Amino acid sequence: MKKILPLALALCMLLGVTAIAEQPAPSYTYDVAVTSFPTTWNPFTYQTATDGDLMGYLNDGFYNFDYNETMDGYRIIPWAAVDFPVDVTDQYIGDKWGITEFVYSDEGEVTEEKTTGRAWKLTIRDDLKWEDGTPIKAENFVNSAKLLLNPKAQNYRADSLYSSSLRITNAEGYAKQGVPADTSYRDLMVLDGIEDVDAWLESKGDTKGYVNWGYSFGDTYDFETKAWTGAAEDAYVESPLTIKELYEFYTTGAGGEYITWADEPTRKDWALDELKAKYTWPETAWEDVGYFADGEYDIVMILDKPLTGFNLHYALTSAWLVNEELYNSLSTETDGVFTNTYGTSVETTKSWGTFKLTGFQSDKLYTVERNDNWFGFNMPENEGRYQTNRINTNLVMEPSTRLEMFLNGQLDVFGLSKDYIEEYGTSDFTYYSEGDSVFAMVFNPNFSALEANQKAAGENVNKTIITLKDFRVAMSLGMNRAEFLLAADPVSQPALAIYSSQIVADPENGIFYRNTDVAKQVVVDFWGLTDEIGEGKLYATVDDAIESISGYNLEMARELFNKAYDEAIEKGMMKEGDEVQIIIGTPNLTSAFYNNGYDFIVNNYTEAVKGTKLEGKLTFTRDGTLGNGFSDALKNNNVDMLFGVGWTGSTFDPYSLMEVFVNPSYQYDASFDATTYDIQIELDGVTYETNMYAWYEAMNGTPVTLKIVGSDETAVKSFPYSTDANEAANRIKVLGALEGAVLQLYDFIPLMGNYSAALKSMQIQYYTEDQIFPMGRGGLRYMTYNYDDAAWDAYVQEQGGTLNYK
Amino acid sequence: MHNKPRDEAAYSLRKRETQVLKYVIKRVLLMLMVTLIVVSMCFILVKLLPIKPAVQFGKDMQLIEMRREALGYNKPLIEQYFIFLQRSVIGGDWGVSETLYLGQDVWSKFMEKMPATMLVNFYTMIIAVPLGLMFGIYAALKKNKWQDHFISTSVIIFVSVPSYVYAFLVQYFLCFKLKWFPFQMEPGNDLLSWKTFVSLVPAIISLGFGIVAGLTRYTRAELTEVLTSEFLLLARTKGLTRSQTTVRHALRNSMVPIFPMILGEFIGIIGGSLIIEQIFGIPGVGPLYVSSITASPPDYNFFMLLSAFYTLVGLVSGIIIDLSYGFVDPRIRMGSKK
Repeated sequence: MKKILPLALALCMLLGVTAIAEQPAPSYTYDVAVTSFPTTWNPFTYQTATDGDLMGYLNDGFYNFDYNETMDGYRIIPWAAVDFPVDVTDQYIGDKWGITEFVYSDEGEVTEEKTTGRAWKLTIRDDLKWEDGTPIKAENFVNSAKLLLNPKAQNYRADSLYSSSLRITNAEGYAKQGVPADTSYRDLMVLDGIEDVDAWLESKGDTKGYVNWGYSFGDTYDFETKAWTGAAEDAYVESPLTIKELYEFYTTGAGGEYITWADEPTRKDWALDELKAKYTWPETAWEDVGYFADGEYDIVMILDKPLTGFNLHYALTSAWLVNEELYNSLSTETDGVFTNTYGTSVETTKSWGTFKLTGFQSDKLYTVERNDNWFGFNMPENEGRYQTNRINTNLVMEPSTRLEMFLNGQLDVFGLSKDYIEEYGTSDFTYYSEGDSVFAMVFNPNFSALEANQKAAGENVNKTIITLKDFRVAMSLGMNRAEFLLAADPVSQPALAIYSSQIVADPENGIFYRNTDVAKQVVVDFWGLTDEIGEGKLYATVDDAIESISGYNLEMARELFNKAYDEAIEKGMMKEGDEVQIIIGTPNLTSAFYNNGYDFIVNNYTEAVKGTKLEGKLTFTRDGTLGNGFSDALKNNNVDMLFGVGWTGSTFDPYSLMEVFVNPSYQYDASFDATTYDIQIELDGVTYETNMYAWYEAMNGTPVTLKIVGSDETAVKSFPYSTDANEAANRIKVLGALEGAVLQLYDFIPLMGNYSAALKSMQIQYYTEDQIFPMGRGGLRYMTYNYDDAAWDAYVQEQGGTLNYK
Repeated sequence: MHNKPRDEAAYSLRKRETQVLKYVIKRVLLMLMVTLIVVSMCFILVKLLPIKPAVQFGKDMQLIEMRREALGYNKPLIEQYFIFLQRSVIGGDWGVSETLYLGQDVWSKFMEKMPATMLVNFYTMIIAVPLGLMFGIYAALKKNKWQDHFISTSVIIFVSVPSYVYAFLVQYFLCFKLKWFPFQMEPGNDLLSWKTFVSLVPAIISLGFGIVAGLTRYTRAELTEVLTSEFLLLARTKGLTRSQTTVRHALRNSMVPIFPMILGEFIGIIGGSLIIEQIFGIPGVGPLYVSSITASPPDYNFFMLLSAFYTLVGLVSGIIIDLSYGFVDPRIRMGSKK
């Protein structure tokens, strides 16, 4: 008995332990539906946001965002790197990398300030591994960069090493070597090492010149008939002239006569940027590219331009790593065309990120599962995080199907569109998120193009009234934004300026642009409330004034419609009885947003002009066939107006994003020439003046000559990123002035701030209730589960198979 | 003496075979010519579309231009056309996708997606065709009775309403409310499994309604006409039963226009249904053609492959359907000038 009892106990314990050991770990599956499916998640060639989503699971970055300590903002933390990069510029001074010991001023004079931020050493973690356990070392990143820049491949993402703020020395030259490419005269002069234009033209000016007629002239010159044709293609095309002849044509010939500002000496230089020639980049050895390993875990990056602080870390929040062995095995070259199928199936994918790809059926479903070899699971800050161990991403095109699946517990998130917002908009499970875009209604007031269009439209039709600012202001004030949104997109909010409140002006310190005094003043100035703020006035504070703005003032709009009509009659632009016909472009005829939005616009303005001289004379038609040519249609004046368009991205860099409003390649109002529109800005007590494009360049670090207002003097200035408080403030002032100037054109009229709403399933729990940019509500890292998969299935069954989220 | 008629019969058969063969060869040659013309037109038209990419802020567009240069997009159109003829039409290499499925072989991708489309359409046909015939025959036999009126009214409803409307209704009631079937087709490559079939039932029902209704209407109309003809009256007066006259004589005669219709539907199983595939998560070829042309820039290789494939399929099916008349009714002669 004495022996039996302990034996029995031991047996019980053994059984108990076995039972515990056999109990499967709870499974937490995150089920989502998408409406477009990834096709290529190769870090070198991925293109769409859905490609990027899948890549995000499988790849990682050197740094990552996290909540700040007070949980009201963000901070950047080392991720695949052990620490922040170390500035090693002083070790790489010399001609090889073009780094001087001391900084040169904007005027080109050497200063006493040491050069910094040009060379960085990055130490990666020693536990980075591929999903199969193969270690990843510094040389793997370097080899991947070499493959990314492979000149034969022309990888879509190759420019991530040279066209963003992170400009690796000689990366562009390596990627483009041996390939003829359109290159500006100015760049060619630099490449040829000749500073004098005439000398350069004499020695190199015999090859064919290329010109973008649309960009430079908005018209095409026929050299045979020696006449302007009225049409212009927005692409670089070969001209029948040599480099030298084309330069002469642009500056002193028929081209120079055509452009009114060509006589101004400084602006003649624009020929050097606008005219191009084919240039074959010379051979560049990989050893000359500023990206190499220094030992097993150190990577050295040499940069063309200094980059420090947040911008450097932000640029390194992604990495360009592929498994070289697998990648090379998937490369083919046929008739000089390189292709690679890396990242197109489970077999052609290797992960070093949080998850690994375990299932992929094209245009159907992909599954990623927890990657136990991910380095992040060794990080103390990730303890208790990443509860999700599987993600199923289904392609489900129909919203009604997605909702039904969500209600049956088969999806964890359901994005709410207009059709569902009334039913679920106030649900406790509905979460609203603000996007970083402002969508606008836009005009391209190109008089000659509008005149040609109105002629083509027949007798008694007018379009040129669009060129009158009063008309466009009336269109802005006559738009009932709140009602528009109720009709087209009830989740979003009216927008009052061109930048959303998610745009960060000072990323180092987490200062959002719209919260700055400068940005607030832009809004009140634009909406005409500046004089109404202060003690004893209509609004006590700027914030109160902004709060009151709806963007809708029908009375004023009607006055302006009358004023515009009178002006158009007076100037002979239109006759009494003419009908103003506006063609609104939409990408398709199926989108509920565009259908409802268009119907609303027609009704809104038909009502708005009642009682004005345009009553019954303002009509709209729709071209809903534009597809991908949507944005180009307005630039080319194929339509007269677009709505619901804007720009996304560059959330942390509104300074470079300003280019979309001052560069005709991006502008919706391509007829607006920012180089001819001067604005004055007061900085440190001095008022400077130059054109909008020059201000944009200065704001992004290019030294620009500014006229000092009230004197004959000029000053060379630039406003690059700076940690100095005063310089940072000046930079924001320039940004604010440019935003104000863009708004005052009334070509890009802010309509709506982009918001989204989604139902969250009862299975999951977000980390924060409020959206904290850019962490959102914690993402997969912080998300937790109220039920594991088995418990969730049981719960849904208990509820009768359909859950109530109302 | 006795062999002469047999020789004449054999001669007549051989002559007929030769005529059919000549006819087929002629049609095949014409088909190849038409295919070449259509493909050439498609090539020229798609290449004439502007390919300027949507401007991407912060993107080195020179890189994109370099890729296009390498792909030969900047070569003269005629040169591109001959390269296409040599490589794709003669060489059978349709190239890789440059937009929709970057870097992936277009033919392999197309073939990867074809089985799902064929499967759902095949299931639909093998269920819908017998049902359509059955209802049609029944309605014809019960002409002007309440059964006929009921079937005819139902047919009008099902023919008039597009299939995606049923699809949503089927999905709502059978998948969401009753939970009898999954919302989407079963993922994976085990296409012939029972689980996959069950997951396809809602799609089959949705697609089937229209086919059943169409076939019912057609069969009823043809059969009704034949059933009232004089030769059937003669057959009945000679003592054949109603079922004998219906099956052996009436149905066979009415099949002349119906059979090619059924054949056409079967050939159509490779066509794919954009809407039904989208609603029920069938990863088939339905959206490919439209996507290849609406992509920016258009996915030339995919577009040309699909254009050539569907042109060829359409023309081949035309030949098969024409030939089928002769099999259904031997009185119909192919290639005969008489």
